[in-house]
Amino acid sequence: MSRWQYFLRRVLMSIPVVIFGTTITFALIRLGPLDPVSAILGTQYNPQAAEQIRSNLGLNQPLWSQYFDFMYDLFTFQLGQSWVIAPGTTAYELIEVYAPRTIWLGFWSVVIALFVGIPLGFYAGLNPNTPSDYVASFGGIVWRAMPNFWLAIMLVTALSQLGAWTNGLFTWQTWIIKTNVVTPPALGFFQSPIERFMADPGGWFNSLIRATKQIAPAALVLGSASMGNEMRIGRTAVLETINSNYVETARAKGVSGRSLVWKHIFRNALIPLVPIITGEAFLLLGGSVFVETVFAINGLGWLFFNAAINGDLPLIGTLMYIFILILVGTNILQDFLYTVIDPRVGYDG
Amino acid sequence: MSTTTETEIPLRQRVAENPQPALIWAAIGAVLIGVELGAILQVVGVLAGVVVNLLPGDPGAAAVQSLQAAVDGIPTLVSRETIANQGYWDGSKYVGTFLGVSPAMAWAVRVVVVYAYAFAVLGWLWNGYKTFRRHYRRVDWTPRDDVVNRFRGHTWGKFGLIITITFVIMAVFAPALGPTTMEKNILQPYDYETSYWNEDTQNVETVLVGEANLGSGSQGAGDENVAPMTYDDYGRFHPFGTATNGKDLFTQLVFGARVSLTIAVVSMGIAGIIGLSLAMITAYYKGLADFAAVLVSDSIQALPVIMVLILMLVVFRGTWVKELYDGAVLIILIFSIVYWPFIWRSIRGPAFQVSEQDWIDAAKSFGQTPSQVMRKHMAPYVFSYMLIYASLSLGGIIISVAGLSYLGLGITAPTPEWGRLIADGQQYVASPSWHISLLPGLLITLVVTGLNAFGDGIRDAIDPQADTGSETEAAAGGGGA
Repeated sequence: MSRWQYFLRRVLMSIPVVIFGTTITFALIRLGPLDPVSAILGTQYNPQAAEQIRSNLGLNQPLWSQYFDFMYDLFTFQLGQSWVIAPGTTAYELIEVYAPRTIWLGFWSVVIALFVGIPLGFYAGLNPNTPSDYVASFGGIVWRAMPNFWLAIMLVTALSQLGAWTNGLFTWQTWIIKTNVVTPPALGFFQSPIERFMADPGGWFNSLIRATKQIAPAALVLGSASMGNEMRIGRTAVLETINSNYVETARAKGVSGRSLVWKHIFRNALIPLVPIITGEAFLLLGGSVFVETVFAINGLGWLFFNAAINGDLPLIGTLMYIFILILVGTNILQDFLYTVIDPRVGYDG
Repeated sequence: MSTTTETEIPLRQRVAENPQPALIWAAIGAVLIGVELGAILQVVGVLAGVVVNLLPGDPGAAAVQSLQAAVDGIPTLVSRETIANQGYWDGSKYVGTFLGVSPAMAWAVRVVVVYAYAFAVLGWLWNGYKTFRRHYRRVDWTPRDDVVNRFRGHTWGKFGLIITITFVIMAVFAPALGPTTMEKNILQPYDYETSYWNEDTQNVETVLVGEANLGSGSQGAGDENVAPMTYDDYGRFHPFGTATNGKDLFTQLVFGARVSLTIAVVSMGIAGIIGLSLAMITAYYKGLADFAAVLVSDSIQALPVIMVLILMLVVFRGTWVKELYDGAVLIILIFSIVYWPFIWRSIRGPAFQVSEQDWIDAAKSFGQTPSQVMRKHMAPYVFSYMLIYASLSLGGIIISVAGLSYLGLGITAPTPEWGRLIADGQQYVASPSWHISLLPGLLITLVVTGLNAFGDGIRDAIDPQADTGSETEAAAGGGGA
């Protein structure tokens, strides 16, 4: 089987996965004991109004027809409206408002994890069993063992107290640009960025730095779990590659140290890192609920959590569907990267 | 169907031929068990109570209660009665404490005795294994010896093992470790009294525990704080300080360890049973069974784990399952459902390899039933791979449970839980009452580090050629909580 046939098969497999995953979501929210009508009415519950709402929302129809409506709407991207959190607002509008903050947060967590975790891991792998290797490895393990939400709380406290601890020499709030520690990032400058940049480059950069500083602590926490993973895997991968025969051969042939590291070690060590990097999507989505809660960032994780505890069924279904699409998309991306990086893919089935 | 060879002598006979090592070992064991007999019987009583509680209608509850009451009377070495720490100062000396030392000292002595006893028991068990291996085992060497020896040479794994054991002891001996009890301090504080030395009246007075708690909460500034390793106004010692409501933090933490570890181990156990059975079936029958399992597990794995956990906890919020043990049973069920695909995925490959072996064909042609082949000839080879994955996932589950409880969805009051304590103390982290949030988080970090190190050790011992294991890495993280 050629590499691309293998890849195509993986893509085709993802279709039933999306269908089945969405079905599980439907089964959970409609077959479970959660009653959407009492969630909508809240304290003003009375049977008449309940019946009215029930027929308005089509909850009287048989379950299979509700199921097919649910699936049809999602797969044609008619994402429906919120019932409880923001009644009457379409899911599109809500996602448009909330998603950018999560994307901004996710972007910086990935950047921090990639550009700190992998270099540290490779450094530790290239200098195995030295004190700096031990410090880096042990630090990565402990860092990874810390719960994100706890780390977030501690970081918030540390940043707010920095001024008091250093007798006002350094305060996070006034460092570079004035911000609060716990705050959603102001991302207004991303709307029509080119015109704004042309009109006022200094102000635009100011907003960019402000938004980056606002998201930095949260991104550091959210990136922490994957950072530890990438470090560990990176270290082991480099160690394994260094001791492999082809590196030995290259060294014997007189390949220079720099070329040896970059061409023979680095590229091969990247292969086991691919699933860790794409697996970050899971950590980021799951972790966003906690980190956004602690840092008061009203993003997608926060939206999902509130939709869930308020029983906002269509919003839960829609968000879950989007999360599934994102995750399945990353899995396909992972297979694509494998196909490109590793020529052996598909040969042993 | 085992065939007896000429060299095989029953274990009983082997012991009879050389009884000395076995007798020494048994005598030490009798002493160790004897001093704790009452506690062991108590555990039996509690377990019976758990079974009764889970059954609908609570049959035989009265019988279990009378059993528990009868057992309570037996004195034990490691108990609050033998080494009492809850005494009071009567102006000249301590009354009611162990040997009349200060409550802090008495508590410290008890903690040391508990750990010494527990490690003595573990050492005794290890010694039993070594005695068996040296004197009574029929063969000189088994492949399992190599696993044990590899683990003994694995410093990082041993470090993890010691941390893990420390927390397991904490969970097992939770009632004896706390400076006070769940019942008196946390569940029914208004049903019990405590005596203390009143400085103003120069007299010993009594107060309801609940009222004393109200006066010794940790809520930030000044006198509204009982720091770690201090006494409160009522002469009660608090090793880790008090929580916001004045209840002892250490007592809640040790019982929290019990809750977290039980949830992690039981849910991994259930998920492991499901995953292993399914791996056997899919590897044996292959084809459609395997394809269906791939589809279901891929779909479950494509869901964001934390979101599904949140959703399921919300969906089952108002049901009777949630009432059982303040939500612990529900959490265990949910984690088992969500985690089995990961286990199944991690052992699918080894299970397939085993199913291709010649001895499987041989067993089939001998007319063994499919279930016999799976249980006797396939499962033992796959089990160790499952052990690796499960041990590396325990830490992640502990973090997830704490995270969900932090969000207010997991374990509900009054059962103590680390994540909920962190949430309680969140607003006081910058104040003198920093301990409420900080200490549970440190404990989680420590136990998860220990479990992961232990898992690494198990992996390297069982399968020295294990690849970098990208899947297991992801499992150890807890899905982002």
